[in-house]
Amino acid sequence: MTLREALLRARRRPRNLGAGSPTIYRGDGYEFVELRAYVPGDDVRRIDWAATARSGELQSRVVLEDVALTLAAIADASPSMDVGRRRPLLAAASEALHAWFGAASGEDRCVRITARGVTPPALQRKPAGAVFAVAKEEAPFDLTRALRTARAALPRGTALLAISDWYDLDPTLDRDLADLGARFDCTALIARDPWFEELPLAGMVRLRGSEGGSVRAYIGPGERRAYLRAVRAREASLLKRFRVANWRSGILREADGAASLAEAFGLARAGVA
Amino acid sequence: MTFDHPARLAAGIVAVILFAMLYTFLARRTTARDLLYSNVAFFRDAARPRRWIPRALQTLWVLALAGVVLGISGPHLVLPVPARDGHVFICIDTSGSMASTDVFPTRAAAAKAAARAFIAEAPAGTSIGVIAFSGAAGIVVPLSADHQQVSSQLDQVPMPDGATAIGDALKLAGESLPAKGHRVVILITDGVNNAGTDPMEVARWLGSQHIPVYTVGIGTEAGGLIPGTNEEATIDEEALRGYASASGGAYARVSNATQLRDALTHLGRITSLQRKPVDASLSFAIAGALGMLLAFLAGFGLGRYP
Repeated sequence: MTLREALLRARRRPRNLGAGSPTIYRGDGYEFVELRAYVPGDDVRRIDWAATARSGELQSRVVLEDVALTLAAIADASPSMDVGRRRPLLAAASEALHAWFGAASGEDRCVRITARGVTPPALQRKPAGAVFAVAKEEAPFDLTRALRTARAALPRGTALLAISDWYDLDPTLDRDLADLGARFDCTALIARDPWFEELPLAGMVRLRGSEGGSVRAYIGPGERRAYLRAVRAREASLLKRFRVANWRSGILREADGAASLAEAFGLARAGVA
Repeated sequence: MTFDHPARLAAGIVAVILFAMLYTFLARRTTARDLLYSNVAFFRDAARPRRWIPRALQTLWVLALAGVVLGISGPHLVLPVPARDGHVFICIDTSGSMASTDVFPTRAAAAKAAARAFIAEAPAGTSIGVIAFSGAAGIVVPLSADHQQVSSQLDQVPMPDGATAIGDALKLAGESLPAKGHRVVILITDGVNNAGTDPMEVARWLGSQHIPVYTVGIGTEAGGLIPGTNEEATIDEEALRGYASASGGAYARVSNATQLRDALTHLGRITSLQRKPVDASLSFAIAGALGMLLAFLAGFGLGRYP
């Protein structure tokens, strides 16, 4: 199953009926499937008069539902995402975004919401992947503002992907999350802390924050254990908050952004695009 | 504290301040070796790293350097040091009330035993003499550095009898002490001055000569009768405290033989100490060097170096 199919089969099927490409569902479209006897309530425009004449009974044409998706994405490009063990988390976010927009086909529309607003400004067909590479933005990234822009600018039923480390996810935003979860088919990718498995620090260390600040301290085994506990607790707490807000959620791993996105949808990576 | 080389001290203080500033600058500057982390505030809350350890290490370095600087500046501290040429007169009351048995076996016997304890505690080289006084005062043992001999001659202290001439005893002690050196008078009595010179006047004179008088009052709260009389042996504590205060000494009240012995043992230690300027260069230099070694080893052990 592809990511697109997964989106279409989801409980919150994001639909723009009568356009785009046919789905697996029978409905209103152009892709012919079969003829069957007329059932009261069938659209009279679907009656196949030639077949009716041949059979002597009213025959209806059954077609597949045509749906165009609106795929929207918010990718946190703040300096806090520009860290990692072997490469920045932004690289993994780019991969995930590429896979996300790569799932678009036919008349599907792609929208990216950045610090500058909605990009591209007008609804646009499937773009080239390079356009959606996530790079550190000069303008400060405001997660709250991006979510509220999405709420205002995107049509109901949009498939929205949000990638961030979610450090800025204030508890007061839970209502906004729930609102977005009700309007859109939302997916959150939580950038996993690069030191989730083990903090590679021991002894006297200096730590520089990517968004400012620094720490000069002694790190012992106790500090490392406390750190791992806190990181795991934070991740579990975020997953729970998204679940409560009716979001699909997953973990963005530094090693492979596309696979992380596939995991969030419960797919094998091969079927993402 | 005084210094032989104030110029070195001034230069050293500047060096220590510059060192502290340089250390702080190097500790705070960001380098490529710093671990880049996404959110420092979260890290602080999550790991609760011990930030006081680097600060303590920095403080240790600065203090160690300050110790070395002080060491090379030739510091002299005024400290209590054992007086090798001290002179002490013990004035023992031999008035009739000293025969009272409220302090076992008698106040006089307990006073002599305590005097022996004092002599045993005094450092070698301290000259000790004994004056006995009742209606008049007389030297029983002249000043001598032979503590064995002084201790054995305590037996010559006369039996209790007569009045209490505290002032005469203090005056005799003051006049018999050498004109210079570390000099102390110890007064052991149980009574009220009732004969001879005014002790307060003598105490003030002794104070002006830098001869402190340490007074020890013997007797229980209940007191005791003077044997062979109906008179009660009382202590004029206010007066004894006044003599001590006027001369720069101290007063102690004891009510049994053990306390008296302890008091004299304590006096044996403190009265033989003399406040003198001591060259502390080596001590500061060693402390500074040890501090630096400790700071280096601590930093090495904590992963600060190399």
